[in-house]
This record gives sequence, structure tokens and C-alpha cells, in this order.
Amino acid sequence: MSTISQSRPLTTFDQPPSQRRFNIRRVIIYALLLFGAALVLIPFLWMISTSLKTQDQLFVRQINFIPNPAVPANYLEVWNRLSSINPGMTVWRILGNTLFITILAMIGEIFSASLVAYGFSRFRWKGRDTLFAIMLATIMIPGIVTRVPGFLIWRSLGLLDTYDPLTWHSLFAWGPIYIFLMRQFFNTIPREIEEAAIIDGANTFQIYLYIMLPLIKPILLAIAVLSFQGNWNNFQGPLLYLSTPEKFPLALAMRFFDQSLSKEAPQWQYMMAMATMMAAPVLAIYFLAQKQFLEGINVGGVKG
Amino acid sequence: MDLGVLNTYLPTLIRYVLVALGLGAVMLLVYRVQLRFGIKQEAAAGRALVTPWVIGFLVFNLFTIGASLYLSFTDYNLFRAPEWVGTDNYADLFDISAVPLESASQRSSDALPRRHDEIIRVTVGDSGFVVGARESDFWRSMRLTVIYAVVTVPLGLAGALGVALLLNQKVRFIGLWRVLYYLPAVLPAVATALLWRWMFSSSGIVNAALSPFLNFFGLPAPQWMTNPGLSPVLFIIISLWGVFGANSVILLAALKGIPKELYEAVDIDGGADWAKFRHVTLPMLSPALFYNLVTSLIGALQAFEVAAFIPTPADAGTFLNWQIYQEAFNFRNMGMASAMAWILLMLIIALTALVFRSSSAWVFYQGAREGA
Repeated sequence: MSTISQSRPLTTFDQPPSQRRFNIRRVIIYALLLFGAALVLIPFLWMISTSLKTQDQLFVRQINFIPNPAVPANYLEVWNRLSSINPGMTVWRILGNTLFITILAMIGEIFSASLVAYGFSRFRWKGRDTLFAIMLATIMIPGIVTRVPGFLIWRSLGLLDTYDPLTWHSLFAWGPIYIFLMRQFFNTIPREIEEAAIIDGANTFQIYLYIMLPLIKPILLAIAVLSFQGNWNNFQGPLLYLSTPEKFPLALAMRFFDQSLSKEAPQWQYMMAMATMMAAPVLAIYFLAQKQFLEGINVGGVKG
Repeated sequence: MDLGVLNTYLPTLIRYVLVALGLGAVMLLVYRVQLRFGIKQEAAAGRALVTPWVIGFLVFNLFTIGASLYLSFTDYNLFRAPEWVGTDNYADLFDISAVPLESASQRSSDALPRRHDEIIRVTVGDSGFVVGARESDFWRSMRLTVIYAVVTVPLGLAGALGVALLLNQKVRFIGLWRVLYYLPAVLPAVATALLWRWMFSSSGIVNAALSPFLNFFGLPAPQWMTNPGLSPVLFIIISLWGVFGANSVILLAALKGIPKELYEAVDIDGGADWAKFRHVTLPMLSPALFYNLVTSLIGALQAFEVAAFIPTPADAGTFLNWQIYQEAFNFRNMGMASAMAWILLMLIIALTALVFRSSSAWVFYQGAREGA
């Protein structure tokens, strides 16, 4: 640890040894970085490698990252297997389910959170700060406490095993962190901009749509990628509310496949193909929009 | 596209639009009613805008928390109305016994009262004690969850700090490293849980990599999935993989925000690198560390996906969150599950309060000091 914690080299009297120490330090830093990167990458590469192997390449004594022969057909075969267990679970259906849930929940949570954040930020009204403090406190409520009554609410509405709890629930601004993030951004916008618009005769909603939203675009993008990731990866919600296999999103389809396989020999090449497929869109968005991703995380962390 | 598919998407879509329109109408109503009562336009608009959250809060937070507390005092299996049983659920849960052992070889089941099972057994020399409980599954899960949180949270923070300090050393390709280290946090928890189960299976890559060492010392391959002693170790390793990057992104940003002048001041005072770390870096990072500490603690106590995909032997327990989920939705003991959830809530509140209490001693807020 002590080597890591040292910051930049000091001005020292004996130049040559310190010069050497400096180089050794660089080497140690890069060695540690590479070691850490290897720890991160090895499991990830193992997932991809396994997904391209044949059954008899799985359990061998020698660790081999390069599949020989490589079978990309696993990625199709896993869906054949899945629909042979349950004919309704085709690739398009499961993908469609996942996208349906993800997109509707994304739209709902971003739209509602931005409206609520706008209300908490650009308007003065009595009780605002108290309500905002309560909203922040809700971040700490563990999901497990509200899970049983939440389930009972949707049950009494007759909406179990539908996508409703996973989609339009988001219209009620269920993401306090997003509200917080956007409010931070709204707060930085100078008041004159609004006043000019009011003089021009714009109403509240027009100001929000044409002036405020474009101004907070960076954080909107950040929230959009975080929201996509959160809803695409969501497992707890669908597990609680969905029971018909045809309606499952990817996360649940994976569990379904896993459980139906456990009696036979574990077919890890298919499981990993599915895991890779589920990770792929999130990864693609992450690599394309990494700036927004990391930005969103930072605004929450540093200012919170 | 057959009609069956449309039948599952379309009704939800219609209700989605209707709810959105309804919410808009309610917001407009809230606005108009306030104006009618002579409230200024600005205040009326502000309140109208936060209405969706207020409704969501009342129904899905306030009501559900109250309902959960009520249910924890009932016996409820979904099919018959909840039956009030007073504090029975809690009494069952806290039916714990601690008994001294007569000798180190005495079996726990002989020492414990009837229907109690072992949770913790400690032997020193030829004496010792054993703690048992009626709801032993719950307490075993409590044991696993607490051990997990207590180990992973400090280790994860220290690791994240290490990564952040490394990345702050004017390294090249900083963007690349940052993207790489954050990668595990982006992957779906479901996919990584499965991946780890595969890697730690008895003939998986981990044991294959360990086998030269194990053979050298003549040890058998560890059975990660079936040896109860290894379950916490397994979960800790899994969690550390993901937690480094997520926290270090925040810490790195905080590091970049530390003014250079502060380090120069230490230089002038003749301080060494350690002094810089101790007296500048750590205090300036403390708010970010505090934020990470609170979020990782709350996160660690609520681990779920790993437990759903990685089964543990019964003696090891599982994560509380998963245990409670099973109690509610597999065994349909909604009342008992609610009582368990409340105990978990109290644990989270107590630990978070402890962290907040301690924060005045070690978290340094620039603004706060200057203002005083």
C-alpha cells in the first residue's frame, strides 16, 4: 500500500538515485495496474471463451482460453434448446420482452424524474426542502421491506404476471437518485434564462421542454445509459411479478434455462453464450457512452 | 406476430398511456386548485410538478412500509385474511439460546434445547459454548450476511482507494484503464453470478489454476459450492471483483479535485509522501469515502442476485435478502417474512447510523470548517 500511496516524486538532493527510484515506481505502478486489469478481464474472457467451446472442451485439466474448434453456433443453439423446453420462449419473444420492459421503464423514469427534479429546483414553495429531504431518505429504504406489500398492491389490482409493475410504475418517479442528479444540474442554470422566456410569453411546460431539458442534456444522457443498464439487468422485479415463462425477460429466461438444465450435465457453453448475449448491449452502450456513464456516477458521488 | 404476443404487450401499453395521461390531469388539477385558493403561480407550479413523486411515495413507500409493519404482527399466507398474532413472529425469531458445552466433543444438538439448531459454536480447549435458535435458517443467513458485509465493505473501499491512487499517478491511457476497471460493475449481476458459479465449480478454472499448489502441498481441491466454510469466502471474492471499479471511479474524481496547493504546502513544510497522503489526500477524500462506505454497506446487506444463482449448503445460510424472499414467496409466510424484513431494516438503520455518528470524527467537509 505504501508504494501506491506515494504521490509525485519529491525534490531530493541526490538526483541519480531518485531518478532510478522514479523509474522503478513507474514500473511498479504499471505492473499493479496490469495485474488489476488481468483480475478484471480473466473472468470476462473466460465467459466469452466458454461460450464458444464444445461440450468436451469444457472440463479439461489444461486451462485453455482459445476454443478449438470455436463454435459460434452455440449462440443459436442455446435458443433452440430453450424453445425445446418451452416452445413459447423464442429468441424474439424474450428479446422483445426485455426491450419492452426496458424502454417503457426508461421513458417513464427519465421523464417523471426530470419533471419532479424541475419542480424541486426552479420553483420556490413552502415545504419544498422538507419534501426533498424525505425523498433523499427514501434511498435508504431496503427493497425487501416494501416488497411484500408492493406485491399485494399489484395483486389486488389484478396485475400480477403483467408488465405493469415493471413499466408504468416508473411514471411515479421511482428513482430518487435520478431526481437528485437532475436537480443538481437544474440548480446551476441561471435564473435570467427563465425570466427571459417568461417575458417572451412561454408557459412552465414550454420552458421545461424547450429551455430546461436541452440545458441538462449531459446529465440526461448519463441518466439514460444508467437507466438502460438498470432496467435491462433488472432481475428482482421480474422475478417477483412475472410467472409465465413466455413473458420472461432475459434475466429470468437465464434462470429458467439454468434450472431446467440442472438435472442433466451442466451445459456451461450455452449458459455462457446466453450470459454474453445479455451483457452485450449493456457493454456496447458502455463503450460508446463511457463518458456519460462515468459522469453520472461521479455527480452522484462527489456532490452527494 | 401472433395475437398472443400482442395480448401481453398491448394492454400494458394502453394502461401505460392512460396512467401517464391521468397523472398529467392530476398535476393540472393540483395546479388549478392551488390557484383557486390564491396560491402564487410559482408555488402552485412547483407543487404540481412533484405530484407524481408524492403519489408514488405515499402508495409505494409510506403505505407499503406501514403495511409491512402491520403484516409482521400477523400470520398471512395470501389465501386467508391476515390473522393478528401479536409479537409471535418476533418471539419466534428471537427464540435464541446460548448454552455452555460440557466438553469439546459434545454434540451441539445434545446441548441445545429441543427444536433449536446451532448457529455459532465456539470451543476453547475442552470447554466452549454454542448458540442456537429456533429460526436457525434466518440466523445462519444473518451470520453470513454480516460476515460478508463486515469483510467486503472495508476491503472493497481499501481496494478502490488503491485503484484510484494508482490511476491518479499520471498514468498513460487513463481512459482505457478506467473503462476496464469499471467493467464488472456494468455487467448484469445475473450473468456474472452464473459466470462465478461456473468458475468455482469443482472442476472449474479456479480449481484448475489452484491445482499445482494444491498438489504440491497434497491438499484436496476445495469444494466451493458444498463446503459451508467456504461459502462466505466465495461470496467475498465475487463481490470484490465488482466493487473496486465502481467505487474507484468516484474516488478518482475526488482525487482529481484536490487542489495542488495543498500538496505544495506539505512540500514547503518538508513533509514526505506519507505525510501528504495522511494529511491532505485522506482528509480531502473523506466525503467521497464516506459516501462509498454508506452505499457499499447498504448494498452489501442487500445482496440478492448472487444468492439466487449460487446455492449454498444449508449449514452456511444464504443472503438475508434472498432468505426473506424465499420465506415470503416460496413458503408463503408473508407475516414471518415481514418480521424478518423489519429486523434487516433495523440492522441497516443501526449500522448506517453508526457510520453517520462516526463521520464527524473522520469526515472533513471543507465548507463546514471554513464557516465555523
